[in-house]
Amino acid sequence: MLVFISRRLVQGLVVLFMISAFTFFLVNLAPGGPSSLIDFQSTAEQREARLKQYGLDKPVHVRYVLWLGDALTGDLGKSINQGLPVASLLRQRFATTLQLALAALFLASFFGVLLGVLAALYRNRWPDHLVSTLTTLGMSVPNFWLGIVAIIFFSVQLRWLPASGNFTIGAKFSLADRLAHLILPAGVLAFSLMPNIVRVTRSALLELRAADFVRTARAKGLRERMVLWKHTFKNALVPVIAILGLVTTVLFSGSVVIESVFGWAGLGRLAIEAANGRDYPVILGVTMLVGVIVVLVNLSIDLLYAVVDPRIRRES
Amino acid sequence: MRKAGWLSLLVALVLPFMALAQDYNPDAVLTFATNADPTLNPWTPGAVIESNLINTILFDQLTRYSPEDLSPVAGLATSWEAADDAMSWTFQLREGVKWSDGEAFDAEDVAFTFNDVVLVDELGAQSATQFSQVESVEIVDPLTVRFVLNSPFSALPYYLAAFSGMLPEHVLGGEENPLTVASFNKQNPVSTGPYKVAEFVPGSYVRLVPNENYWGEAPKLAGIVFRIIPDANTQVAQLLAGQLDLVTRLNPNLLAGVEQAPNLDVLRQSQNLYYWVVLNQQDERFTDARVRQALLMALDRPAMIDAILKGYGTVATGPIAPLLGAIYSSDVAQYPYDPEGAKALLAEAGWTPGADGIMEKEGQRLEISMPTGQFGELVPATLLVQQYWEAIGVKANVDVIEWNAYIQQVVVKRDYEGTLAWWSQPPTPDVTPYYSCEAVSTGNNIPNYCSEELDAIMTEGRRALTPEDQAEVYGRMQAYLADELPYLYLWYPDIISVKNSKLMGFADINASTAFQFAADWYVAP
Repeated sequence: MLVFISRRLVQGLVVLFMISAFTFFLVNLAPGGPSSLIDFQSTAEQREARLKQYGLDKPVHVRYVLWLGDALTGDLGKSINQGLPVASLLRQRFATTLQLALAALFLASFFGVLLGVLAALYRNRWPDHLVSTLTTLGMSVPNFWLGIVAIIFFSVQLRWLPASGNFTIGAKFSLADRLAHLILPAGVLAFSLMPNIVRVTRSALLELRAADFVRTARAKGLRERMVLWKHTFKNALVPVIAILGLVTTVLFSGSVVIESVFGWAGLGRLAIEAANGRDYPVILGVTMLVGVIVVLVNLSIDLLYAVVDPRIRRES
Repeated sequence: MRKAGWLSLLVALVLPFMALAQDYNPDAVLTFATNADPTLNPWTPGAVIESNLINTILFDQLTRYSPEDLSPVAGLATSWEAADDAMSWTFQLREGVKWSDGEAFDAEDVAFTFNDVVLVDELGAQSATQFSQVESVEIVDPLTVRFVLNSPFSALPYYLAAFSGMLPEHVLGGEENPLTVASFNKQNPVSTGPYKVAEFVPGSYVRLVPNENYWGEAPKLAGIVFRIIPDANTQVAQLLAGQLDLVTRLNPNLLAGVEQAPNLDVLRQSQNLYYWVVLNQQDERFTDARVRQALLMALDRPAMIDAILKGYGTVATGPIAPLLGAIYSSDVAQYPYDPEGAKALLAEAGWTPGADGIMEKEGQRLEISMPTGQFGELVPATLLVQQYWEAIGVKANVDVIEWNAYIQQVVVKRDYEGTLAWWSQPPTPDVTPYYSCEAVSTGNNIPNYCSEELDAIMTEGRRALTPEDQAEVYGRMQAYLADELPYLYLWYPDIISVKNSKLMGFADINASTAFQFAADWYVAP
């Protein structure tokens, strides 16, 4: 098991190194430049002066080596457009994104599995059709649109929920206030994550219900509920866990959009602003942080397989 | 009956007192929106649209724009005068002004802001190019400064009101680069304006509270919050929901629903801002003025304004907008929509339709590569230009590119044949940075247009100190530009702001000016 973990960790490091090199050269070689440099009304002399200040007058490969050296000692540099250390920007924004991501993941997996089981139990009957309509909607409706519609309906028309931000400015901390601000963005994000989970749950259950060991369980005379929960559902969890790993990446790309629509100060919005403004150190910082998270999530999912499925445990 | 009598007596007695005691609500907090994290230093490179309005409240400038006609009026300076040879300006500073930390404001701060920040080329300060004629700022006495010029600069008092806030010498004086001090720019700047920063939560909001050291009458609001909301649709939704009190520079296409809302005022304002199409003058096909005139005549500008701006704009006649009053001249060549006339003019210039209908002359074709940036209305406007030109046998190859890359290609490298964008400048007729031969290739003269005659008129304008002289010189300049068309002038867009009706004392003329008088804002009780 230890060998397995350390092998995966080394693989993860190689992946991270490749991500860093790829991202660095890609963003640095993309046309354009930091918005403070490439501003519409600036003149050539101003751009020249700023280029020097940011150290962008050195060749790209030299800059990459310098960046890598600093990054290995934990220094991710300073944001070009904001003038703040990248590490502190990431720290501020990560907490916000984590709230949103965990809430959305919880909602999506809870309702996703629930609806998936429903759809499998009532296969080809009206609950199944209803669920499949919902999942089709969730997959095809872009979440920025859904977000705006949700704001118009719940904030502008009904005035039930706040339209943006993650807490009321100037008010004391209160859990209710945080939750009220969380419902819309997390709900919209969960709605677009859910279809994958529903589909995988449904098909895994259906496949297993026809499997030999389930038939055997039935033949033993076990009650249907026992067969479903003890035998089928537990085994169906493996693919569901696998999809959760994949969903993590979707979660981060979805939060980019959702954070902009709902005015949340999270990593996603930081990434968008950095990309639009060509803030190289911030783009690198966000990419590396998300890279680390994805690598870690995948590692823990591999470990979870082993917990859920004894066969995998024995192999490793 | 008796009860009602008592009650009305009570009301009659109390009501006048209530009105007297409070003609405004002292607890009111206004909520505004800005599209990204602001940088709280008006001179930091990259501090632009997301920072301008907040910085205008925080950092007083030497002059302000009059809410009546945008002429310069007193700010931190109370009076000013040009020397007879027009080579310097002397400004008298306001007495008794204090910074938000209690220190006194004086000539040292003005000299520091210019000599140690704006005029230091290596710092690349944001609006520094506005002041390229300023050699240095001399301290005459603690409340008098002299701007020494390297060439006449009659527009200086106008430019001093354009995002040119004063910086505190006692706070930033010791810094190696006063423009990149994070504790100042992103946390707690020291300023002289009516409100000061109480809290800055990156990515979320900036909260301002009254500055108890303010030199003028005490501010009438309990606070102003700027929420950071990048998405314009969300801003509008929040405005409708009553969660925002003001949105500036709104796209007219988002106005549906806002116009009917009972508690919102739609303000149609203007700025010295014009949209244009340029044709690269380093391409010899476009150096004949008749070709440029024909290309402008081919455009139905009123129809474009209707289609793109929902009618919120007027046809432009030159680089100076009508809001400049006496200096604006409409007595110039106009180019109403006339595709036949355009073709005739092209024929006069030697261009005739080729086999495929595209105009040709001596083996050259009027096929124009037209990069366009993904920003605001630029893409739809460029596509309309393409259609209109097609009708007169001119083919535009439109290439849509991302905004940042567009600036690199078109503005920095001048790698284009034709393109469409806009200029916005302070309300002065001095357009030298956008038209002079000196600004070809490197400056803001994007069309690379160079004419000695025009340069001479603009230099004359910089020497003209009286309004009468200015009107005369700049009248000639506008006539010249309308004939020559270095830029094909499209339209002056209305700048649309929407505010909650409860916000009072907000100068109507435009948002940038209204923010210079933030001390006058109040909310009725």
